[in-house]
Amino acid sequence: METAPHTDLRRHPESNRAAAEPLMRLEADFAETGCFGHRVLEVTSESVRVRDGDGAVSFLIPIAEIKSARNEPLVGGGRLEITTATGEIVPVLTYSLTVAARFSEAARGIEQLAKGEPLAITLKQEQTRCAKCNRLLPEKDGICPACINRNKTLLRIAGYLKPYRKQALWLAGISVLQTALNLAPPLIQGSLVDGVLTAHRHIGLLFGLMALWLATLVVRTGADVKSGWLISYLAGYIAADLRAGLYRAIEFLPLTFFDKKQIGAIASRVNQDTDRVWGFLVEGVPFFLTNALQLLGVVIFLFRTSWQLTLCILSPIPVVVAISGIFWKPVSQLYHRFGQKWARFQIHLNESLSGIRVVKAFAQEDFENKKFLDRNRELREAGVRADSHWHTIFGAMMFFTGLGTLINWTVGGYMVYAHQMTLGAFWKVNALLALVYGPLQWFAMINSWFSRAMAGAERVFEVMDTDPEQYDDSHPSHDIQGEVTFENVRFGYDKSNPVLKGLSFTARPGDMIGLVGKSGAGKSTTINLICRFYEPDAGSIRIDGADYRDISLQELRRQIGIVLQEPFLFNGTIAENIAYGKPDASFEEVVTAARAANAHNFILSKPDGYDTMVGERGAKLSGGERQRISIARAILHDPKILILDEATSSVDVETEKQIQEAIGRLIEGRTTFAIAHRLSTLRNATRLIVLEKGEIAEMGTHAELMEKKGVFCNLVETQSQINEIIGLG
Amino acid sequence: MVNPDELKLFYEPKDRLRLTLGEEKSYLTVKPVWAAPVSRPGAYLALLDGKGEEIALLPDPGVLSPENAAILEAELRLRYLTALVTAIVHARQEYGATYWSVETDRGPRDFVTQSLQENAQWFSETHLLLLDVDGNRFEITDVTALDARSQAIIGAIL
Repeated sequence: METAPHTDLRRHPESNRAAAEPLMRLEADFAETGCFGHRVLEVTSESVRVRDGDGAVSFLIPIAEIKSARNEPLVGGGRLEITTATGEIVPVLTYSLTVAARFSEAARGIEQLAKGEPLAITLKQEQTRCAKCNRLLPEKDGICPACINRNKTLLRIAGYLKPYRKQALWLAGISVLQTALNLAPPLIQGSLVDGVLTAHRHIGLLFGLMALWLATLVVRTGADVKSGWLISYLAGYIAADLRAGLYRAIEFLPLTFFDKKQIGAIASRVNQDTDRVWGFLVEGVPFFLTNALQLLGVVIFLFRTSWQLTLCILSPIPVVVAISGIFWKPVSQLYHRFGQKWARFQIHLNESLSGIRVVKAFAQEDFENKKFLDRNRELREAGVRADSHWHTIFGAMMFFTGLGTLINWTVGGYMVYAHQMTLGAFWKVNALLALVYGPLQWFAMINSWFSRAMAGAERVFEVMDTDPEQYDDSHPSHDIQGEVTFENVRFGYDKSNPVLKGLSFTARPGDMIGLVGKSGAGKSTTINLICRFYEPDAGSIRIDGADYRDISLQELRRQIGIVLQEPFLFNGTIAENIAYGKPDASFEEVVTAARAANAHNFILSKPDGYDTMVGERGAKLSGGERQRISIARAILHDPKILILDEATSSVDVETEKQIQEAIGRLIEGRTTFAIAHRLSTLRNATRLIVLEKGEIAEMGTHAELMEKKGVFCNLVETQSQINEIIGLG
Repeated sequence: MVNPDELKLFYEPKDRLRLTLGEEKSYLTVKPVWAAPVSRPGAYLALLDGKGEEIALLPDPGVLSPENAAILEAELRLRYLTALVTAIVHARQEYGATYWSVETDRGPRDFVTQSLQENAQWFSETHLLLLDVDGNRFEITDVTALDARSQAIIGAIL
């Protein structure tokens, strides 16, 4: 039995029906008071109810009384609202953005039940905490950075060494040799002092030892050069392999990945994170190994020479290790902070320089200068703070390192004086001492170095392991005829906020469909779905009658052409850009396409003709020129389905005429979807689809819709009024 | 310009905020939103109708009658789920993410932030907004008003 309903239970006390098994069960993270808490939404085939943290039902409404349900977006969260059959809007419960998408999907489910339809939603249980350590996950259903198997990651990193096994082995061997050679000079010096200098005889030994030293020096130099070569070879090759693997993985990622991340952040994975990984592999590991080996060797030698003296001189070591262990983290955080300030400074500098025209035009030099000075001051203070902390710690370490030498001279000096030790042995210890304290200071960093490399590796592998778009080449090749059908298509970039709400229409082969509507109505989204940059959340898109997911993705896109409002050209020649979709096109084909796009004449007027470099993003061409090149590109691509996104905006009248002509040739025999704000340009469309808030408001030819005097007619009239005003101005 | 004395806010039915302006106008659904919640907190409150169009912008909501003010306060608390951080219990930076555990006016909460450069927004020297990985909002109106420990944590991380 359920507990007695809450006092503000909206309707109907509990009934047996309501106790039916829930079809959906979702946890909200806000209590009724507005504080963080726990409430549960349960939807059965009969009712929608809410249970409070204590399990009591505080809200209940029979499905039969529901007309619709939706997610009302709030600041930092959302609220499930139900509209009753009588038109009353009832808030059900509030939740944070963490779970808003699930509740939006649930609202859809409630609506389906209210309409008597079968429940068709995907309510995936999302993991917000790590199943192993219960830590919050940085991304839902993502990896827990604390729990990833370090050994596995390490092995995977090491896998990149595989093709270069020979070089890696060489490097390891040379590292051992370098360590051994490092130990040689102190030992030679010791023998020299005892055997020649103190004894005042065996002068021949002096030259013998010096010859040995020279030989060591020569071999050592050779080893250094060779290891340098090997390191740069490995670094270069492994870094290139990592970047290539990552770039290939990124290319095949779905666009949803790029929506969530800034381009800068993705680029930094390719640059910074791969750098961290190979840096660790090629520089970190050998550095660590040689130093560890050297330390071990030195300590053994020291103990063999005099264990009493060794114990004394090594006594400050625990302090040095402790200092670097304790203080390394705060200092590295200060440097991290400095890095952040540096980035902020950089952003401001870039922005104010690239916007210098605006700054000057608004006479805001002083304002920008003040902002600059603020950032500059922040940067200075962060830098000074980090550096002064660093120097304090470094000073302290130096003191204790110096103390080692002091102890050596005090204790060792006494031992030599008391004939407990030879001068040569003392000299040897003194020279070896430098080899102990040097590497020691950096060992504390190893941990953070290692962590950073691991984190970098995980970010790299995360991208590599993200599911790529489903290219699915197993389907037989399909020559598209050009019929496109939308069947009740729903879609939202943010799942809690659908942009398209049940779109249905059919475009026959060769049709030109004009998509019309205010901004945000869903025009571009419709086009994104046709290109399968995104897939519908519900409903289906059919091409020639078959679900378009049954056509391999590259095959599909090969037969779709796009001319965008802001055409994107790649840095290269005009000919290369025109042939982008068909790299094996002959020069004649390129010229024919350019002619059809009314681009041929202006191309010929350039000194380098078709070999003109267009510059980064095509910056060396005018907007109209870029536009016509992109049309030529689409013509050569010869798609069955064509998408035109406001292709004629922001050009002069003459250019527009030329572009219109070009488009006229381009759309012949292709199914075309065109978005245009200038509604008059859509006069020739077979049909216009007027979108309003993600739904089809009207559909018909230009003439039909004008006659209907509905939404479209309104839009046209508003626009002609605006044009008149502009014309008068 | 709307005369604040003519404003009357009330719930009818129970959960729907309505507004009448004098004798003439009535709005069946009203949504209060802050025009500049961060830089001008407590000022410039806009009242929107069901379509999201502005009915009135009140530069100083303090001039409203106590009844209206109380209703708005309750409605705003429902619409703004931003949590005001009162203390930072602990925060740890690991593996590129920052794990926070905080006390807020809405109770204790744990959350994760990524790339603090974008998700820790300073509106002034002391006013900080943290956005977690899902976009949930945690605001610290005055960092210097927090206890020393919380301040030290923020100082170390940001």
